[in-house]
Amino acid sequence: MSESANPAQPAVPTPFLLRRLHSLAGLLPIGAFVIMHLTTNASVVWGELGKGGVETYQHEVNFIHSMPLLLLIEIFGLWLPIAFHSILGFYYAFTGTSNVKHYGYGANWRYALQRFTGYFGFIFILYHVATLRWGWTWLPFSSGFDAHMAASTTAQAIRGGMDPTALAGFLIGALYLVGVLALVYHLANGLWTFAITWGITVSEGAQRRWGFACTGFGLAMAAVGTMAFVGFVTLDIEAAQQTESQMHAEVVNADTPAINELADNDNNNTTHQR
Amino acid sequence: MTTATQSKARTIRFKIKRSDGPGKPSYWQTFNVPVNKGEGANVISCLQYIAANPITADGTATTPVAWKAGCLEEVCGACTMVINGKVRQSCSCMMDTVAPNEGDTITLEPMRKFPVVRDLFVDRARLFESLKRVKAWVPTDNLWDLGAGPIETPEQHEVRYKLSECMSCGCCMDACPQFHKIEDDAKWQNAFIGAAPISQVRYFNLHETGATLKTERLNEMAAKGGISDCGNAQNCVKHCPKSIPLTESIAAVGRDTTIHAVKQFFTGK
Amino acid sequence: MPSVNKNARVIVVGGGLAGLAACVRLAEQGVNVDCFSIVPVKRSHSVCAQGGINATNEIARQQGYSEWVHMDETLIGGDFLADQPPVYEMTHWAPKIIDLLDRMGVPFNRTAEGQRDLRLFGGSLFKRTHFSGATTGQQLLYALDEQVRRSEAEGKVTKYESWEFLWPITKGEGADKKCVGIVAQDLRTMQIRAFPAEAVIMATGGCGLVFGKSTNSVMCTGGAAARCYKAGAHYANGEMIQVHPTAIPGADKCRLMSESARGEGGRVWVPAKIGDTRDPREIPEGERYYLLEERYPKYGNLVPRDIATREIFSVCVDDNMGVDGKNQVYLDLSFKDRKELDLKLGGILEIYEKFAGEDPHEVPMKIFPAVHYSMGGLWTTFTPQQRPADPVQDLNCGFDTVTGMKFGAHNTMMTNINGLYAFGEVNFAYHGATRLGANALLSCIFDGLFSGQGVANFVKEAAEPVADIHQSVYDEAVQQEHFKTQKLIDTAEAGHSDPATNPYQIALEMGEEMTAACTVVKTGPRMEKAMSKLNELQGRYENVRLADGGMWTNQNLSFTRALGDMLTLGEAILQGSINREESRGSHYRPDFLERDDERFHQTTIAEFNPTTGKPDLSYKDVIGGMVKLRPRDYGRTESEPKAEPKEATAKV
Repeated sequence: MSESANPAQPAVPTPFLLRRLHSLAGLLPIGAFVIMHLTTNASVVWGELGKGGVETYQHEVNFIHSMPLLLLIEIFGLWLPIAFHSILGFYYAFTGTSNVKHYGYGANWRYALQRFTGYFGFIFILYHVATLRWGWTWLPFSSGFDAHMAASTTAQAIRGGMDPTALAGFLIGALYLVGVLALVYHLANGLWTFAITWGITVSEGAQRRWGFACTGFGLAMAAVGTMAFVGFVTLDIEAAQQTESQMHAEVVNADTPAINELADNDNNNTTHQR
Repeated sequence: MTTATQSKARTIRFKIKRSDGPGKPSYWQTFNVPVNKGEGANVISCLQYIAANPITADGTATTPVAWKAGCLEEVCGACTMVINGKVRQSCSCMMDTVAPNEGDTITLEPMRKFPVVRDLFVDRARLFESLKRVKAWVPTDNLWDLGAGPIETPEQHEVRYKLSECMSCGCCMDACPQFHKIEDDAKWQNAFIGAAPISQVRYFNLHETGATLKTERLNEMAAKGGISDCGNAQNCVKHCPKSIPLTESIAAVGRDTTIHAVKQFFTGK
Repeated sequence: MPSVNKNARVIVVGGGLAGLAACVRLAEQGVNVDCFSIVPVKRSHSVCAQGGINATNEIARQQGYSEWVHMDETLIGGDFLADQPPVYEMTHWAPKIIDLLDRMGVPFNRTAEGQRDLRLFGGSLFKRTHFSGATTGQQLLYALDEQVRRSEAEGKVTKYESWEFLWPITKGEGADKKCVGIVAQDLRTMQIRAFPAEAVIMATGGCGLVFGKSTNSVMCTGGAAARCYKAGAHYANGEMIQVHPTAIPGADKCRLMSESARGEGGRVWVPAKIGDTRDPREIPEGERYYLLEERYPKYGNLVPRDIATREIFSVCVDDNMGVDGKNQVYLDLSFKDRKELDLKLGGILEIYEKFAGEDPHEVPMKIFPAVHYSMGGLWTTFTPQQRPADPVQDLNCGFDTVTGMKFGAHNTMMTNINGLYAFGEVNFAYHGATRLGANALLSCIFDGLFSGQGVANFVKEAAEPVADIHQSVYDEAVQQEHFKTQKLIDTAEAGHSDPATNPYQIALEMGEEMTAACTVVKTGPRMEKAMSKLNELQGRYENVRLADGGMWTNQNLSFTRALGDMLTLGEAILQGSINREESRGSHYRPDFLERDDERFHQTTIAEFNPTTGKPDLSYKDVIGGMVKLRPRDYGRTESEPKAEPKEATAKV
């Protein structure tokens, strides 16, 4: 009964290691990426000094797409971590049974909501990445993303595709807004529980104060996300297309090899309907 | 009983979820219990009344309701049950507070996360088994006279004393969405251990001699069903009748387990 | 040297402090232990002990205290009814016990320097009570529970929780009678089984439920002790029942309000003017009657419990000065610092607030005496041992040699039945006619650790191995219990609530009658009346009917069976009280006001007469030899304070 650990066992027990990696993955790289992604998106609204939002956003996108080995970064830095975090997350979530019906306390609601936003967020991310990155435009109400026409294609996508009906626009728009807010909640609350899980916030006071900080962070991120959403929903698509075409033409004329490669690459990958 | 107290008498309806034994279906019965204001009636005194008068509200003769009780002062943990949907001790559930008016209804159910023996009587053996899992004891050498134990500051005492008040009632587990009812005792070992034993890990690791088993306890915390199964719903701390800072214990043990695992990773020990 | 039985097995009935302490001692001595308990041992009644545990300590020693003084206090506290060698041994072991508990991790309160803190307790002028908040019993029980769990994990102890002790299995008659096991019943499956063992330790606590509402837990029926008594074990000093001065009356029980409330400065008072219904906070100091402080200037609120109880009782019942005209007085802590109160008394103040609905930090608590502890119990013996007086522990004792108990002697705390032992509250050995506060935890743990050694030696060296005992002995005992059970089960009728034959109604009437006749104030005629009431109840019990005839977790059966035992025990207690025509300690007879050492410096021995079903009483001389008898008055002032309250009001 008091035998010490079996020597055949790994130094750190696998279930614990997986749990901790799961927790870490939510923060790094996924959380960090979400923060970056939402702020980039929000740039469509304010823009940089002297430039319009569309231009700034296009610049950001160009920068990202100019990164070497982008696909590998995406696979190993994003898609696999997200898959890891999601699949384990589903498994862990299924080990719990929410009881807010009897115990309707704040923390218990947050616990339930964390799991719900996990499920919902996963579906949203899948749809989002599939349509805008992988070009699965056969999905309902969807259109693809063109890295040269970043703002306009994004705006179209969240309004329900190239030929939107009112229903499509509403559904996809709502999906995006709720999806973004769900993920922001998931991240902010995850940040709060992360600190408990890892033993950073121990005392009740520390947990409460960190809770305020996470709430602040969540609200800020929600504002950023909403701002980007509003920006894209209200974007003048035709004007944006003009700006983007102009910028693209400048780039093509400059005949930068890297960009050409990128352009070819993208043309192969996305269904460009224009 | 007497005419003088008639004026303060009222009837409380007890809706009780009963079951004749393990695996038997549950059923509800309602009992009317007369209660006088200001006499300190609680769920226990009402169940005692029902035991002496086992007749339901609709006049059906039945058997007395089975339930567990001990100290009736909320220090033994025996009489824990689910009252009006929430888990708590029944001895401290005072009628004048929870059912002040004529005809008020109280529902009683057995704890949800432990196997029912009969009616409101559940088997909490798993809880005590989990204390073995985490070696919840100080490994003294023997019982001979070897002088005093380690010196402890009042601050350390204050922390440890609070943790030592845990009476193993199981409220923290019953209210926890991550803790589930398991009838098969062979499966307890790998299932989530619950807040109380985690808090006991902290308690014993804080004692100088107790800490000699710290590694073994933290290994158990890192194993399947250990600390990382906690989902931070924090119902445990809300329902601890002794106000033990369970969520602090969970975070503190989480910190120790993290450090322990990092050390293990680099040293293999 | 006799051969040593390496497979010896001991049954411990009861998992409170005494039982668990016995378990750890026996396990350490390499004896197999089976521990039986009605409740999971961690829920035993010992958790209710609040105040602390007494032991000589270096601070008190430097002020003149010693083990000897502790013994002296215990003896005079018990009004000299306790045999002296057991008390000598217990008080001299006390400091070692505290150290051991400290090593086991009990969170004793600490001083700024990190030393164990001490508080003042009843019957002493020295601080010699170690404590862990106001839940000392709980903390001590848990420490032992943890040690037993460790032994259990190592396979040395087997627990039978939710099993009820039904009968001690005995072999032989008279002086040869010996206990060879027990019959017990699983309270869930209702299975009845025999468990053989070389020795059986009863550690089943007190019998508060005989008095209906007491401070005891619901399992403290005294049923187990009564079964041993019916099986031939002698019951000693049954009449010595402690009524605790401060309890919170409730509908289901009276909740204890620890003596430590007074130890930490709590003051007992009533409004000086009868019928003063003002909010207690509005009653000025001069219009309060601090009854204990005025009547006992030396000990104040910390007079022994029987005295405090009688004074509170008399102020309410005789003087009609109870708060709001009811049987209650104020116990006031509201003037103390909140933070310090929480640190030292948090547990009990929380209990008061939860159950009485008022915050004792703000308003005085309302309390009244309630039945608390039985000093009497199964009669037990010991082997005296003479030794030279210790120059430190027995400083200024005036003797060259003293008499303690021989450590490891086979008969230590053995009843008159060979191999049947009684430890803790269920024996009669340590507290005489009144137990001092914070001595109960000590006596329980002392029995387990000290007397447990004797049991270990007995089963290894002297007991007949159970393997040699014929199976029929066990089969017959099980048969007998099956028969008794079936007899009760056959009476069952669902919904049964006829008061005449309802077990709960009979228990209620028994409790009310016993409390009224045989607690704080006892008189011959009233007790004779109670005896006929008890006999009437026994008659009704013959026709008692269950409401549950099932054989699965039938609590109705278990309670009704215990009720029969309580009626038997109640009669022994009552008869002992009637026959003891004197006042001594908790036993207060207005018809015999003086302590009568000539006739009653003796232990009452009740023997169950199977023919009449009644107790046969005899008396044994108390074993003294060290401390000489002296009056026990705790410096009560001569002036009769009854007149004072009126003067006080007149002055204002």
